[in-house]
Parts: sequence; C-alpha cells; structure tokens
Amino acid sequence: MVLPPRWRKVARDLVAHKLRTILVVLSIAVGIFAILVVMGGRGILIEAFETNFPKSNPSTAVLVTTGFDQMLVDRVARADGVADAEGRRTVSLRYRPGDVTGQVDPPVQVAVAQRQTSITLIAAKDWAASRIDVAAPQGSTPWPPARGEIVLETSDTQVSALRPGDFMTVETASGDKKLLRITGFVHDINSFPAMFVGQITGYVTLETMADLGVDAGMDQLLIKIEKPGLTRAEANRIVSRVRDDVIAPAGVRTLNTTVPEPGSHRLGDIFKAVSILLLVLGVMALALSGFLVVNTVSALLTQQMRQVGIMKAIGGKRVQIGALFLSLVAIYGLLAVLVGLPIGAWWASWFANFAGGLLDFGPAAATPPAYTVALAVAVGFLVPLIAALLPIRKGTRVSVVTALNATGMSGTHFGHGLIDRLLGRLRGLPRPVALSLRNTFLRKGRLAMTLMTLVLASAVVMSVGSVRASILTTVSDVSKWWNYDAEVNFARPVPAQLAERDALKVSDVKSSEGWLASPATLRRGDGTENTRLGMIALPPNTSFITPFLVGGRWLTDADTNGVVVNTDVVNAEHLAIGDAVSLKIRGKDYDFRVIGVVRGQMMGPVFFSNRAYTERLLGLQGSITRLLVRTGDHSIAAQDMTADRLDRTFTDAGLVVIDVLGQARMSESFANQLGILVTFLIIMAVILATVGVIGLSGTMIINVLESTREIGVMRAIGASHGSIYQVFVTEGVVIGVLSWAGGLILSWPMSLGLVWVLEGAIGIPLTYTFSWEAVAGWLVVVAAISAVASLIPAFNASQVSVRDAISYE
Amino acid sequence: MTASASGSNHSLIRLTQVVKTYDSGEVPFTALRGVDLTVEPGEFVGLIGKSGSGKTTLINMITGIDRPTSGEVLISGTPVHALSENKLAVWRGRTIGVVFQFFQLLPTLTVVENVMLPMDFCSVHLPRERESFAMSLLEQVEMADQAHKLPAALSGGQQQRVAIARALANDPPILAADEPTGNLDSVTAEAVFVLFEKLVAAGKTIVMVTHDNDIASRVARALHVHDGEIVDDIRRP
Ligand SMILES: Nc1ncnc2c1ncn2[C@@H]1O[C@H](COP(=O)(O)OP(=O)(O)O)[C@@H](O)[C@H]1O
Ligand SMILES: [Mg+2]
Repeated sequence: MVLPPRWRKVARDLVAHKLRTILVVLSIAVGIFAILVVMGGRGILIEAFETNFPKSNPSTAVLVTTGFDQMLVDRVARADGVADAEGRRTVSLRYRPGDVTGQVDPPVQVAVAQRQTSITLIAAKDWAASRIDVAAPQGSTPWPPARGEIVLETSDTQVSALRPGDFMTVETASGDKKLLRITGFVHDINSFPAMFVGQITGYVTLETMADLGVDAGMDQLLIKIEKPGLTRAEANRIVSRVRDDVIAPAGVRTLNTTVPEPGSHRLGDIFKAVSILLLVLGVMALALSGFLVVNTVSALLTQQMRQVGIMKAIGGKRVQIGALFLSLVAIYGLLAVLVGLPIGAWWASWFANFAGGLLDFGPAAATPPAYTVALAVAVGFLVPLIAALLPIRKGTRVSVVTALNATGMSGTHFGHGLIDRLLGRLRGLPRPVALSLRNTFLRKGRLAMTLMTLVLASAVVMSVGSVRASILTTVSDVSKWWNYDAEVNFARPVPAQLAERDALKVSDVKSSEGWLASPATLRRGDGTENTRLGMIALPPNTSFITPFLVGGRWLTDADTNGVVVNTDVVNAEHLAIGDAVSLKIRGKDYDFRVIGVVRGQMMGPVFFSNRAYTERLLGLQGSITRLLVRTGDHSIAAQDMTADRLDRTFTDAGLVVIDVLGQARMSESFANQLGILVTFLIIMAVILATVGVIGLSGTMIINVLESTREIGVMRAIGASHGSIYQVFVTEGVVIGVLSWAGGLILSWPMSLGLVWVLEGAIGIPLTYTFSWEAVAGWLVVVAAISAVASLIPAFNASQVSVRDAISYE
Repeated sequence: MTASASGSNHSLIRLTQVVKTYDSGEVPFTALRGVDLTVEPGEFVGLIGKSGSGKTTLINMITGIDRPTSGEVLISGTPVHALSENKLAVWRGRTIGVVFQFFQLLPTLTVVENVMLPMDFCSVHLPRERESFAMSLLEQVEMADQAHKLPAALSGGQQQRVAIARALANDPPILAADEPTGNLDSVTAEAVFVLFEKLVAAGKTIVMVTHDNDIASRVARALHVHDGEIVDDIRRP
C-alpha cells in the first residue's frame, strides 16, 4: 500500500516527535480516565443498586412486635391491600470470636483481644423460600444454614476478621456459651452495613435460635404492599389497619412500626449525597480534560506554523492542510482512547466496588455503563477535533510569509499587555527569575487554560479539606453532646430509683440519669401519620447531654407541654417554633407545642420534653426506660467493660435489657457514616489533582519544546544544567502557586456549596469550618508537585544539543 | 594542507588533527578532515570560505558548542573536547563570548538584562556591580541609551551590538562570531567590524566567520576553508 506523501507526513509526525505524541495522547487519556472513573464509577454503583435492591423485593413496612407464629403471617399476607408478608426472629447477643466455651470468665487480656461484641442474629422459618427482603447467598455458601451454623453478611468483613470455617462463641440470654460455625456469606441489601452500625449481622435458622435459648416464635413482621405510585401516607394507612384489625386481635402487640418512603433504601440519603458529589466532580473532570485537550492541540498547531507555510508555498490548499492536521488530531484521540479506556474502566470498577462495598450494594458490574464509555470516548475523540478546528482555521489562514518567518523564539510579542508591562517594571530580580516570570506569562492563552485546570483542581482539593473539617467539627460537636459513657435501654419502664441504685453498684460508675424514651406517632392535620418519631423525656437541667440550640430555647423545669424538636423532625415535618403538635405516645394522644430546635445527632427525629411533666402525663411516675451513666475512664475498652457489667447487673436484677451501648462506639459509627463521604471526596480530589498536574506537566513540556532555541542560546552563553533547571522549575512553581491562590478564592464558595449539598442529602446541619490546614497543606503539595512536574521537561531542556538548538534548518 | 603550526605550547587556541564526521544523515559526512590550527592572544582571525565548506563546524569546535570526532582542542591549556557538557557551558560562559548571526537576544529580557544574564549564570562580578558593568559595556557599543528597551524594539544592527556587549559580559579573552554581519546591511556591518577592531586593539582575541570578501580582506589573519580543510593562511602585516 502506497500512502500519498501528505499522509506519509502525518505518519512521520507521529513517530518522529515521540515525546510530543506521548504528551498529547497522555493528556487526552487522562481526561478519558477521569471521566470514566468518576462518571463510570457512579454509573456502576447506580446500576448495582438498581439491580440488587429491587431484586431483594424490599419490604414496605417492618413491624417489631411481641411473639407471633406463621399463622399470623399467613393472615397478614391475605389482608386487604397486602401483597405478601414474612416473619423473622431477631435477637442481639454478645459473642467472642473463636472457641472460648471452655473459659469460665476470660482474663482481662483475653477479653481485650477477643473483645465481646454484639451480633444481630436473624432467623427465618425457611430462608430458601424467603420472598421479602431477600438475602442472596454468595458463592458456594450453603443456604439455608444448617443447625449450629451461621452465615455472615458480606459487609461484616469490613469490621470483623471472621471468615468461613471460623467459630464464634455466642453468649445466650441465660449466660451459657454456645459455639457457632461460620459457613459463608450472604448479601442482604436491606441490612445496615456493618461499618455504619459497628456491629455484625448473622443469619441462622429458627432451630439454631432455639439452641441459643431464644424462645420460639417470631418478632419481626415484614409487609409488602404492591401498588404502582404507592405513597408513604397510603402505606401507613394500610399498615395501621392491618395492625389494628389483624395483628392486635391475635393478641400480638406492635412495639414499633417502620414505614420508609416506598422504594427508598436506608442509605438512600447518603448514597444520594455521594451520587450528587460524583456528578458535580464528573462535570468538573469533563471541563478539566476539555481544557487540557484544547491546550495541547493549540500548542501543537503553533509549533507547526512553519510547516503550514511551507505546504502553502508549494501549493497546498487550505482544506487539504486542514484535513491533514485534523487527521493527525484524530489519530491522537484514537490512541488516547486505546490507552485511557481500559485503564479508566478498570479503576472505575475498582472504585465502584470499593464504594459499593462500603454501602453494601452487593456485586457490581465489572465495566462502566455504555453511556459513560460513550461520553469518555466522545471527550477523547470529539473534543480534540472540535478543539483543533479553531486553531486549524487560524493557522491555515496565515499568509505564507508570516508562517515562514515564524522565528525560533516565541517571545517577540512580549511587552504589549498590561501584565507584560507590570512584569517588565519588576526590576532588580535576578535575570533567570525575571526570565521565568515573564516566560510564564508569554503564552497567555495556554497559561489561562493551564491555570483554569489547576485552579479548579486546587479549589476542589481545598474544598474537600473544608468539607472534611466541617464533618470533623460536627462529629466533635456530636461527641460533646453526649456527656456520658454508656446507655442502657430497657424493654419496659423500670423504677428510676432501683435502676440508679443498681447502676452505682457497678464499679467505675460515677453518676447516672434516667430518661423516659418512647416511640411516638405524629398525627398530621390531613389525617396521615408519621410513625417514625421518638420522644425523650429528660430532666431539663441535664448535664448528660449538651444540646446545640438552632432556634428557640431549651427546656426549663417550668415547661409542661413545651417540647424541643431536633432538626430531623423539622426536616421531616416542616415544623416551626410555636407550632402545635399532636403526638400519640403509648397508645394515647397528647398535645404539645414546639418551643425550640436543637441540632440532630444521627439519632433520628426526636421530641424532647420535661421528664417531670411527661411521666405524670403518661402515668409513669418514677419510671424510666433508658439509663445513662458516667464513668471515670472514657476509653472504648473501659466503656465496653462497663456496658458488659451493667448488662449483667440489670439482667441479674430481673430487668429486661434491650441493649447497652458504649458512647464512644456510637460516635465511632456516626463518624464512620460521615467518614465514608469524606473518603469519596478525597478519592475524587486526588483524581482531579492528577488531571491538573498532568495538565501542568503538559504545558511545561510544550513550553520547553518551544523554548529549544532559547535554551541553546542560554547554554551558549554559559548556563549550566542547574541554571536551566532553575528557569523552568521556577516557571512551573509560579504557575502552581498562582493556581493555589486562585483555588483558595474559589474554594470558599465551593466548599460552602458542597457542605450545603451534603446537609440537604443527609439531613444534618454541619458546622461549616474553613480548613486553613488544607490551604497550607495544598500550598506545600502544589509547590512540590509543580516543581516535580517541571523537572522532566527541565531535564529534557538541559539535554538540548546547543548546536542543534541554534542552527537553522 | 595545514596552517601554521609554529605557535608555542602556550598558544591561546590550539587545534590538533581535528576531525568532525556527521553521521546523522544517510551516509556519514566528514565536515572537518584533520584540522591543525593555533591562534595567539590578540589575534583577529577571519574564517573564510564557501557555504558548506565547514566554517561553522570549525568555529563550533573552538567554542565547544560541538565536539570533534577525533583530535584535540586546547584553549588556554583547557582540553575542551574532554569537558562534560555541564562544565563546558560554564567554562564557555567565562572564556568565550559567542556572537550569533541572528543575534539571539532573549525577547522577554530588556537590553541590560540580556547583558547581565551571563554574569548571573557564571556568577561573575558581585551581584550589585553587575548592572553598572553591563551599562559600561553598553556604552562601549553605544547602546546605553536603549538599556531598558526590549530587543524587539531595536533594529538588527542595534541588536547585534547588544549581543556583542552580552558576549563581553564575563570579560572573556576570546570572542567567537559566526557570520555576525551576515544579517546586516553594509553600513551597519561596517560599524560592527569597526567595533571588533577596537576590541582587538583592547586586547581581545577574535575568531569570526564571514563570507563578506570586503571584510575578509581587512582582518589581520585570514584562514581560507575548503572542503573541511584550511587551505590558506594569510597574514597581513
Ligand atoms: N548536523 C549536521 N549533520 C550533518 N551534516 C551537517 C551538519 N551540520 C553541517 N553539516 C554538513 O557539514 C558541512 C559543513 O557545514 P558548515 O560547517 O555549516 O558549513 P559553512 O558554515 O561553511 O556553511 C556541510 O556540507 C553541511 O551540510
Ligand atoms: Mg555556516
């Protein structure tokens, strides 16, 4: 095959200028990479969620009740409006990893190494026939588990080292130690990911439950309502009717009803936040790579001006010359797609699996969805072509004389603009520094593009720093809110005096306080209900929490029906200070008035009321349902130990304890939830920073290529390698520091915006904190990075042969 | 044919059997075929010959801008052919002032800054004395009044005079110029030549490539280059 000469020129251009080819291809490939990872990763995540979540056939409502049997389940399933129903038995027990059945009371060292923690056990009548909130066994996991065997949830691996084949020793309610063998993993998208609750979940059969001393019968009823366009209010109505007409008449009491927004996932809000952030960052990556490509392509054409002149002089038509360059650019795009696509797709899948693992979305696709691939290919292929059109038009229009006279030095236009004159006025700088500074501003178009890329990247990095700082401040605010070390939740109201006296018997407990906590249902004006609320009645002058007031005032001893709500309530119900609310508590309706708003603390929507008034109102004088204690030692280990002892003490006293929680563990799980968002943000910031850095390196490489003759001259008049390095590294660092300054200004509104988006998504107000550490840290990093990014081109520069540089072809 | 080899061991410039073969083309091309040459301090040497005869290649051997394939280049006793690239650049900055046909001033630096640049690179003169020394050089070449202009604002002759001042910045004993008048009109070229004569009178050694016969006939020593060899060595009294 014989190529016409001008196509041979295209081929030779690619091969002869290897560095330039690599640079252009790399710049475009980085853009493709960034878009694929961010957008493609997001796409994979959404896809995994949208397949795995509906596949599980999520329940419409979950009712926690006193014990019931399969007959009731069947009756509920046949009830009006209900499509299906299923029963589960759940219990939270303490366990230690390994086989410690032989030990009576493990010594402290063992207790710390094999810390006793909680596991939520879930049992169903027949796991294999489960139709609601279906859990999917992974790999060759035997399903359902055999008697004495347990299957763990996939996200458990993030907090526990237990693996199939291992044993765990579970402590039964009566204090016996029972051994369970772990046989595999199951993915339950409707469970709370272990990382979020700091607790693992295991799946067993009802027989195993019975072996563990858990009484027969089920206590969790899953209801599925199938109806297109089902609203939460409608679901609520149906569930209330089933409760009143089917469940209650069977003698089963409903303790708690959860009816989430139909079709919503429990981590839906956080996922929404992540998804929006990814989208925003994806659009930025798109803009960044667009800049990068435009930058590289126009530099390429400037370099080829002389050749354009020659081709024109020997009779090349504009269209022919244009086509020549366009095809060169198209080949660059093609090569970039070949490089960027597989690498980007691999990292997109890595990222999606990492994120999907944290959110427990289950198995994700290995490749990004087609539309993101198409987008990346379009950016890699079309953007360069479009970017090239303008410079090509301009370049091919230039007269032969101008093109041929293009000098080897590119600075002959220096000295005209305002910046040039200002820089010219800067006297007394060492000449090499003056040279770097002025050369930086020589190619203004390219500088502008490079700056835009790096300013945007800097702004994102610093904003992420501020978002992280805001989250940390909020977490620390939350920890300040909890001024206690452990809380005990009782199944039924218990006498306050008894509980407090028993608590003080536990060693290291310094003080305690009792609260009355109860689920509450808000009756709205339109007759619908919100059943997902909580009421906490506490002494107004409590020192066990430090409420962070957002509006109105906190409770006083004089308050009667005045309640303080947290921001979660305000978000869900749009209540304002002064509003009257009607709450159903323990089966009766009461009227309250909102007097203040405090910040939510990841404890869901809660009403706070004066305990003295509320206990009389509810007829529960002198009773509490939650006991808070303060200890001398606040470490996680000490709190766990205290929790353990409290549990034993109360159980021995015949009180039914639902759970005992260490405060540090609660803050930890709160910090983990927000920490996941920070992790995503940091990953994204790193990707964008990489794009910015490659953009800077690209610009520096082109600048050096264009400065070949100047470098030759400098070496001819005595410049050492070091001097040449200095000139270009200074130029790179000046660009880096300028970007930092621009990014700093932009990061303020950007971080405010990000925090706002986050607040909206997770429904918690964050304490905005501008991170000066991030600002200072990024200055150091960007200066170092831009120095390094200029080193490779500076090295090339110092290798320039003086003879070749100054000789004319 | 070799040129005068009568110089002492302490000649300023001494080339011995210098061969330069370019093998970048399809067939290797020998541009210098064993040149011997000595130049004494204070000489004004012109390299004369047709285009392609090897003049530029020869002067590049002297300045160290290019290396010989074989042979030795000694300048004030320094074996230039054996220096590393990095040492060579600094050595050149201090020892040889280079003047180019196309001036090659750095466009973003002003006239006086261009003259001071080699001082910065080679750390010659105290930093605070550099500007006054540069100004005195510009006075010598009658460009002091343009000191703060950018090169683009100057005519070709003016730029070449600035380039000569720059070549003198580190007070080197030798000035090497490859067709310094090649891009100038005859009046301006004459002025540059007169400047060179003054510098020789002041004790500098100058090696200059030219194809201008008029100028060639006026240098103290004319070396005729043909096909990579020095074929004639004419000294005027
Ligand atoms: N880099 C090079 N590669 C190959 N051949 C070269 C190179 N530089 C010069 N030549 C050849 O060497 C010969 C001498 O060149 P040069 O010294 O530049 O001559 P002059 O300066 O006298 O015109 C010429 O024939 C030229 O083609
Ligand atoms: Mg020549």
